[in-house]
Amino acid sequence: MKNKLLKIKEGILKKVKEIKNSDELQKIEEQYLGRKSEFNAILKNIKELSPEIKKEIGALANSIKEELINEINELKGKINVSTKKEFIDPSLPGERTEKGHLHPITVVQEEIEELFSSMGFKILDGPELESDYYNFTALNFSKHHPAREMQDTFFIDMKNEDGENDILMRTHTSPMQIRAMKKYGAPLKALIPGKCFRNEATDARHEHTFYHVEGIMIDKNINFSNLKGVLEMIGKKLYGPKTKLRMRPKHYPFVEPGSNGEYTCFLCQGKGCRVCKNSGWLEILGCGMIHPEVLRKGGIDPNEYSGFAFGLGLDRLVMLKYNINDVRLFNSGDLQFLNQF
Amino acid sequence: MNISLNWLKEFVSLSNISSEEIKDRLTAHTVEVEKIIKQKEQYQNIVVAEILEIKKHPQADKLQLVLVDAGEKENLKVVCGAFNISCGQLVPLAKIGAILPNGLEIKKAEIRGEESNGMLCAEDELGLGSNHDGIMILSSQAKKGELLADYLELNEVVLEIDNKSISNRPDLWSHYGIARELAILFNKKLDDYSTKEIKIKKDNKKEKTKLEVKIEVKNLCQKYLALKIENIKIEDSPKWLKNRLTSLGVKPINNIVDITNYIMFETGQPLHAFDGENIKKIIIKKATKNEKIMGLDEGEKKLEEDDLVISSDKETIAIAGVIGAKNSQINNTTSTIIIESANFDAVSVRKTAQRLNTRTDAAMRFEKGLDPNLCKIAINKAGEMIKKISPSANFNHEIIETGDFVEENKIITLDLDWADKLIGQKIDRKEIKKILESLGLKIEKNKNLKKNEDKSWAEEWDIKIPSWRTKDLSIKEDLIEEIIRIYGYDNIKSSSPKGEIIPPEKDKELELIKKIKKILALSYKMNEVYNYSFVSEEQLLKLNLDPKTYLQLLNPLSTQHTLLRQTMTTHLLSNVKTNQAKYNKIALFEIGNVFLNISGDLNKDETLLNNLPYQEKKIGLILAENTNEKFKNLKNIIFNAIEEISEGAELKFLPTESIIDWADQNEKCLLMLNDKEIGFLATISKEVLNKNGIKKEVSALEISLKSLLSALSNLETKQYQEIPKFPPINRDLAFVIDEKIFYNDIRQEIKDFNPLIKRVDLFDVYSGKNLEANKKSLAFHVIYQSGEKTLTNESVDKIEAELIKLLESKFNAQIRNF
Repeated sequence: MKNKLLKIKEGILKKVKEIKNSDELQKIEEQYLGRKSEFNAILKNIKELSPEIKKEIGALANSIKEELINEINELKGKINVSTKKEFIDPSLPGERTEKGHLHPITVVQEEIEELFSSMGFKILDGPELESDYYNFTALNFSKHHPAREMQDTFFIDMKNEDGENDILMRTHTSPMQIRAMKKYGAPLKALIPGKCFRNEATDARHEHTFYHVEGIMIDKNINFSNLKGVLEMIGKKLYGPKTKLRMRPKHYPFVEPGSNGEYTCFLCQGKGCRVCKNSGWLEILGCGMIHPEVLRKGGIDPNEYSGFAFGLGLDRLVMLKYNINDVRLFNSGDLQFLNQF
Repeated sequence: MNISLNWLKEFVSLSNISSEEIKDRLTAHTVEVEKIIKQKEQYQNIVVAEILEIKKHPQADKLQLVLVDAGEKENLKVVCGAFNISCGQLVPLAKIGAILPNGLEIKKAEIRGEESNGMLCAEDELGLGSNHDGIMILSSQAKKGELLADYLELNEVVLEIDNKSISNRPDLWSHYGIARELAILFNKKLDDYSTKEIKIKKDNKKEKTKLEVKIEVKNLCQKYLALKIENIKIEDSPKWLKNRLTSLGVKPINNIVDITNYIMFETGQPLHAFDGENIKKIIIKKATKNEKIMGLDEGEKKLEEDDLVISSDKETIAIAGVIGAKNSQINNTTSTIIIESANFDAVSVRKTAQRLNTRTDAAMRFEKGLDPNLCKIAINKAGEMIKKISPSANFNHEIIETGDFVEENKIITLDLDWADKLIGQKIDRKEIKKILESLGLKIEKNKNLKKNEDKSWAEEWDIKIPSWRTKDLSIKEDLIEEIIRIYGYDNIKSSSPKGEIIPPEKDKELELIKKIKKILALSYKMNEVYNYSFVSEEQLLKLNLDPKTYLQLLNPLSTQHTLLRQTMTTHLLSNVKTNQAKYNKIALFEIGNVFLNISGDLNKDETLLNNLPYQEKKIGLILAENTNEKFKNLKNIIFNAIEEISEGAELKFLPTESIIDWADQNEKCLLMLNDKEIGFLATISKEVLNKNGIKKEVSALEISLKSLLSALSNLETKQYQEIPKFPPINRDLAFVIDEKIFYNDIRQEIKDFNPLIKRVDLFDVYSGKNLEANKKSLAFHVIYQSGEKTLTNESVDKIEAELIKLLESKFNAQIRNF
């Protein structure tokens, strides 16, 4: 019986291979797998066998049946497609649907926010219209610091009781350092993205309205080495795992020690190219350890806590990333520009 | 600021060190060196040429045609505008391809029809002096064809230092200051800057013509030194001195002025030289209001009573620390001079220089806060140099020294364990000591406090700050910067901060912004724009808005940006204009701040007495199309977007009579979410569109983010609704009513009519053909469903009949049959 079954199987498989169209296929299917088929006849006889043989033959018969069905189904698929008459050009393009676009600064800002959020930084927003106190005084700018002069800062035509113009468009996101310290105290990890303003004439490389991201981390035992560690990590996330950090002393009134931060150019990996003006490095950051006076103004005891701060220009980051050559495009509202992102 | 390498080498040995290495090391540890300028390269293609022939230009009286021999095969024809030349003279010729120090590139040109193959140069055009009277005539020792730079020995290498990076370091505004840093960075010895006291022989002293100096404003002038010298011969400086100055980009003037400038660039101390003929007395005092003086730069300066001036017994002879007056200028006939070496208050100088827009090299140094000890050093140096350069000079007067300056004994205590903690790494104590001492700091006391656990001593040092660093070194953190910048920021190991891991609190407003941006851009195909926070008066007027209520900038850059925006629509409409020629449909949004001229909720300072003006974030949308469907289309966008943002809440549109200055009379409504007003939607009136030159139909909307957030936070959490067990019955209901009856009211009436009415969906609005004027037809799907049983047609018929009756009586509705 076993041999008989296998023989039938061989026979069918051979015939199946010769099938050329669906009519033939249907015939074969009826002949061998249909209710009146040879195969079913054998299966009908199984019940008369001894239990052991019944089991063996039954299993074999079922597996052969399954195999045949699979074979035939596969063939059906092939025959159906290949018999179709009309030709379709598979190289035709996909149809483009209308899309909306996020501003490129939004896109890059969100990447950075996500990175810091994942490390436990709060993302905070602050007022664009600020006071002289938060923008300068609390950040350790002396009363006559050059940055306070009219050619650097937009003041609002509004005088306080002492006859001073003390309301201004924030020149950096740093005033939020103080506001955040006051609101949340220490320890504190915060990232502050935002729009900033400086009173300087605009051209392809300068804008009076620009976008910054600022980060602060305050805790017991935060040190300069930690600042380096975090900045190295940012560089690697932004520009790839081989990115190196270089720090240079730089003075900002609200940090001490103060530094700038450069990364190896992402385009030439430090060899020197057009993007990095052949230096191999891109200046991306200003940073440093938060000045004790600033901590004090934020209501945090500098004898107990220390912290670092860093800031970077979002516009510059986006310009570098997409090779944008005119900073004014960001605020142009020109769809020919915006639709590219 | 420019620094000459050769000059530095007078104080520190830098042999075998390349200029690139110096640049890199200074940048890494001290200040940013922006570039290295090789002087010789600046004078490429500028050669000595002999004048062979001079002819009149046939087309222009003010020009001449000159034939020169520049040592090349062929003589060159050059058009020249100066008339001080004659045949046989040697002159500088900028050949084609030369770039002059002022940036002018020499190209082959045709000037009034005559070919010109270069340019004969005046002294000022070459940055070699102030003379523009005519072409620079060279001595007969020059050789035809020789590079001008070779002839004049212009071979300096100059470091251009970023002024901003030394704004906190007055000591670095000099060659000696930079040399001090280089000595540390290259581990070289710094030569002392020693000057000899000027000694006057007793029998030479002239008491009669002795100068008197009086400081009236002692707090603004802590030190004033004056030296009167007679029998000076004013002439050109020697070549080496001229070259030093030209290498820095400073034009030589005469021996005395050049010496004062030279000393300023060398020591950082500005000096001033007066013609001393008529000066018997020097008074340092405040100016009189509206006093006018003519400055050395030929500009008239109008003074205020806060300005500090130097005055003789007759008149004002200088604005202290800023600029000298024309009336006491050194000229060719001067024979008595007074050298001033003083310390003026930084803030006072800054304010005056700023207001007069006269930021001289002297003012730039004074405003950083100079070391008063420098005055003496510099004036002695001036005496020394004058003796050498003008040997005829008679020193018959002693230096007069006055002022209240007392040297401060500034000590900073540094706990070294604390230093390790802030740096994050232990730096060898010997190394720290070496760094601090090389910077001129003195470790006065070395106190061993107590033994640490590792048995090392916890040390605390009292450190004395040298006079030239008292301005920028005040606290122990400043010393940390000194230590690690010299040690090298790059040599500090990096490490990860350690601390608790706490998931950050999320700012709800920012989270919502992120969500809205994505939904608008990705689901509703809108484009995000960023606009300025400033608007112009003109922009507002074109939208019928009143500029008077707007906050105003005190110092705007242009008339385009003078006021702080109060609505998003101003710029969004401008954006439509920018794009209208290129796009059929323009769908934009912006999320940004608006600013109102009322008090807000953020405090202004720590007194908490006053608040900042009110500012909040708004969402602005604008839709411009060529069809009149824009109102409906924008409505659909926001309706669906809000549903997505709120996870199912329905935005309602409430007709409004309130005035939106730029809106169409009819197509405007308030946006209501959860019974709270969150913003408005309106079509921009034809009149406003015309005023703005907009050729499309435009609707806009604004939503207050704060209101949206509060409406959203009041929404109940979405609950699962049991899947109905019994089938619904749908009845379509259409009727004609007066067009002024609002959908909102009708729908509410139907919805509230019977609890079995589960949904009321509008599916058609029609007016026009086949309907009476002022009528509209509304068609609804009304869905009846019970939670308890299968509804019969009879029971629904009954409810429907009553509903129709109500609509007929209440709204005068005429039911339409399908």
